Amino acid sequence: MILQDRPNPIGELLIVLEYWDHILSGFLLTMWLYGWALLMGFFLGLILANLRQYGGWFLSRIASGYIEFMRGTPLLAQLFFIYFLPSSLNIPVGNWKIETSFTILNKDITIILLNYRTLAGLLTLGLNSAAYQAEYFRGSIMSVGTEQLMAAQSIGMSRIAGIRHIVLPQALRRVIPAWSNEAAYLPKYTVVVYFIGVKDLFSQAHLTVTLTFISVTTYVLIAIIFLVTITLISKGLDIIHKKTMIPGL
Amino acid sequence: MQVLKGISFELGEGEVKVVFGPSGSGKSTLLRCINMLNPPDKGEVYLRGENITDPEVNINAMRARIGMVFQHFNLFAHLKAIDNVSIGLRRVRGFPKEEAREKALEVLQTVKMEKWADHYPAELSGGQQQRVGIARALAMDPDVILFDEPTSALDPELIGEVLQVMLDLAKAGTTMIVVTHEMGFAKAVASEMIFLGDGVIIESGTPEHFFISPKSERVKKFLQQLDILYGSHEKLLK
Repeated sequence: MILQDRPNPIGELLIVLEYWDHILSGFLLTMWLYGWALLMGFFLGLILANLRQYGGWFLSRIASGYIEFMRGTPLLAQLFFIYFLPSSLNIPVGNWKIETSFTILNKDITIILLNYRTLAGLLTLGLNSAAYQAEYFRGSIMSVGTEQLMAAQSIGMSRIAGIRHIVLPQALRRVIPAWSNEAAYLPKYTVVVYFIGVKDLFSQAHLTVTLTFISVTTYVLIAIIFLVTITLISKGLDIIHKKTMIPGL
Repeated sequence: MQVLKGISFELGEGEVKVVFGPSGSGKSTLLRCINMLNPPDKGEVYLRGENITDPEVNINAMRARIGMVFQHFNLFAHLKAIDNVSIGLRRVRGFPKEEAREKALEVLQTVKMEKWADHYPAELSGGQQQRVGIARALAMDPDVILFDEPTSALDPELIGEVLQVMLDLAKAGTTMIVVTHEMGFAKAVASEMIFLGDGVIIESGTPEHFFISPKSERVKKFLQQLDILYGSHEKLLK
């Protein structure tokens, strides 16, 4: 009979799963943050890498400085800086929000897609990821080599056309294996938004723990959700890498 | 570092100029100065009367009129042979896709590579890649084509097919500047040969001049070395 008092993981899991609507909404918000931050980091990172590589004395230093700063300071510090900056300057941030609601299995789920907190989180993650992505892009641009650009210029292409039509298509193919690092790190980094009160997967896990008093099982479940998601992302990128490989190389 | 120290020459329509000399003498730099990939610090380059070293001039438009063939081919690795040839027509000359493709296929025929049109550079041999490289330059209908040691990175059995294409071009009246140590090629088609050493023209003249009575000791020595490399070894055995 003593056995019954010991925690039963299956029983606990079933209790935690009663809060599946919290966990689902947290997961969706995490993926929402991840997607936009990755996209923002992609384009900004691409611009930074090009500036660093081709920008000339002044612009390449600006880009290097930005990259070193973002990589050299804690993500959480960056988040707090961006989050608290407006209020410390007495700029009102407003109480606006954009949300979406839907009903699944008789449960109403509401996700705040954008409010001040989410925006601060998104900006921080995007600006931070850009610095890391920029370095991956720069590495692959360098590996394409200057000869390709020289050949492009030799047939009359401008430098910019050569970068766009000759260097970048090759660099972006080559970068995928290294870049998938960032794609796999970023979902985990999004949990920092928990500290500014965004209801992401980790916040919802925390909420579930306070409601059920079941901690380990809840966090293991969250870990498994991250693990499966990131594995799928990596596999997806592997497939893209194989599909876009240049024949013969 | 000063690589070229006062070099001056003229190239007429349809002429083939062969530039040779020891490595580090500035041969490649000379070619890159001509199409401004390495803009010279001093001096001028004229193409059909237009000063292309003038900062006012549209250098991209000028480069489109100067073809270049590279030692290591430098084909665009992500593009099929045909797209390597047509991309300049499309992006620089503004040809519609179909027209560019047709013209590129024609040019590939002149280098006998039309069967390989849909292959990527990494799927081709060095000789085949270099012929595509020549086609890429040819497609732009350039006023002159610069060849930067086009055969020196090739396996011996692949050199012939590239030289054959270059001989055909020379016979067809293409204006060419060729940096090469292929003396057979020079003998056959060069209108003038230039021996470059330490950034200056040591000696220039017709192939006959060089192979019969070169003046400078350096040129004689250099030609002897080439003879050891490519010629008969009977003399050395004595």
